[in-house]
Amino acid sequence: MSECRYTRARRVDEAVAALAEAKGDAHVIAGGIALGILMNEKLVSPTWLVDISRIEALKGIVRGPDGTLRIGALTTHREVEESPAVAAAQPMLPEMAAEIACGRIKNRGTFGGNLSLADPQGDPPVAVIALRATMRAAGPLGVRDIPATEFFRDLYTTALREGELLQEVLFPPLAPGAGTAYGKFAARRAMDYTSTVAVGVRAVVEPATGCIKDIGLGLGGVGPIPVWARATEAALRGMRPEPAVIDRACDVLVDEIEPLADHLYSADFKRHVATVILRRTLARACARAARGVEARR
Amino acid sequence: MSIEITLEVNGRTHRARVEPTTTLIEVLRETLGLTGTNKDCGMGICGVCTVLVNGRTASSCILLAVQADGERITTVEGLEQDGHLTPLQESFLRFGAVQCGYCTPGFLMTATALLAEKPRATRPEIVDALRGNICRCTGYKKIVEAVESVVARPS
Repeated sequence: MSECRYTRARRVDEAVAALAEAKGDAHVIAGGIALGILMNEKLVSPTWLVDISRIEALKGIVRGPDGTLRIGALTTHREVEESPAVAAAQPMLPEMAAEIACGRIKNRGTFGGNLSLADPQGDPPVAVIALRATMRAAGPLGVRDIPATEFFRDLYTTALREGELLQEVLFPPLAPGAGTAYGKFAARRAMDYTSTVAVGVRAVVEPATGCIKDIGLGLGGVGPIPVWARATEAALRGMRPEPAVIDRACDVLVDEIEPLADHLYSADFKRHVATVILRRTLARACARAARGVEARR
Repeated sequence: MSIEITLEVNGRTHRARVEPTTTLIEVLRETLGLTGTNKDCGMGICGVCTVLVNGRTASSCILLAVQADGERITTVEGLEQDGHLTPLQESFLRFGAVQCGYCTPGFLMTATALLAEKPRATRPEIVDALRGNICRCTGYKKIVEAVESVVARPS
């Protein structure tokens, strides 16, 4: 076993300084779920661990006066699932967090860590894309904002540059008439980490016409990165969610995603599953929009 | 690079020198000799290595010991009180919720955390709480029943 350095950062600038000194040779550890697994699998052998788990400034959930929800990178999945402030501002998030693995993973795994991993099977990436969140990164040159739709770049690769770490995620308030929903297909929720398909839908419905004024669609498990389904959004935007419109959106979705076959399912099967989960999740989001469930604030 | 850490394990304070990459289960089993916590998948999936960190479940096989520094750890050895099994442990015996026993410490720790938080947990809550623990002998019916039988009843 090679020697490994360890830095326990207490402040963001300490972590950033350590990352600068390491020049790309350090691994940031937050909740330690993914890194612990990758080390046990011998896929990663860190030579320098920068432990950010005790940086208080990266913790916490705050709802600003303008309705913006700010979730610190170290917020655990469990905190996201149980926070009344999160549920009030962005009800998709607790619905999403409930689907993550199981209790002991949610107790330690962090929102920011999961997003920084950019696992295509991850749940938080789907939600931040659908909800058009902003990812705020801290680095040697200060703080930088990256739209969630541009954050996931390649397999396990984000827009974070060398020496940067995710500091917090900002969610703009939902528009009046918005309904959101999260849907997931998994063979066994707690252990299926290769074959899940997830869909996050944010639909803003105009009460008078029933038309979808605006829509956000994120998908997980349907390609090498979490997917922003732009073309499918375009097929739904401005339309009334009637069967013919949804059928066409599903055709667009099938062409827009590139699921990977695995030991359980073919790529075509996952394409089909994605359309089924889209139909169900879209229906739930639109129904909630119609009931005005998410307009209460 | 070795680092000195302090762990409060089952009420006793221990100091240990660990590498940054040493996992908590290595310290528990190899340094402290607490072999009740088992190891299997190494991926946070099977649940046999579940311990409590400040009362909440954690996978000790993927948790680095340095990250548990200063925390309060409970293992299956720490459940019994003055040589007496807890009602939950007794219930596992009574319901035959133990077959080969390898998964049992993990189930006990997960269920202990659940009951501490939700003494009146419903059956769906019990099933959901146990969803991350795998038993490969027999299934989950007797395990769920064993947990359900010690749920506090409104008096």
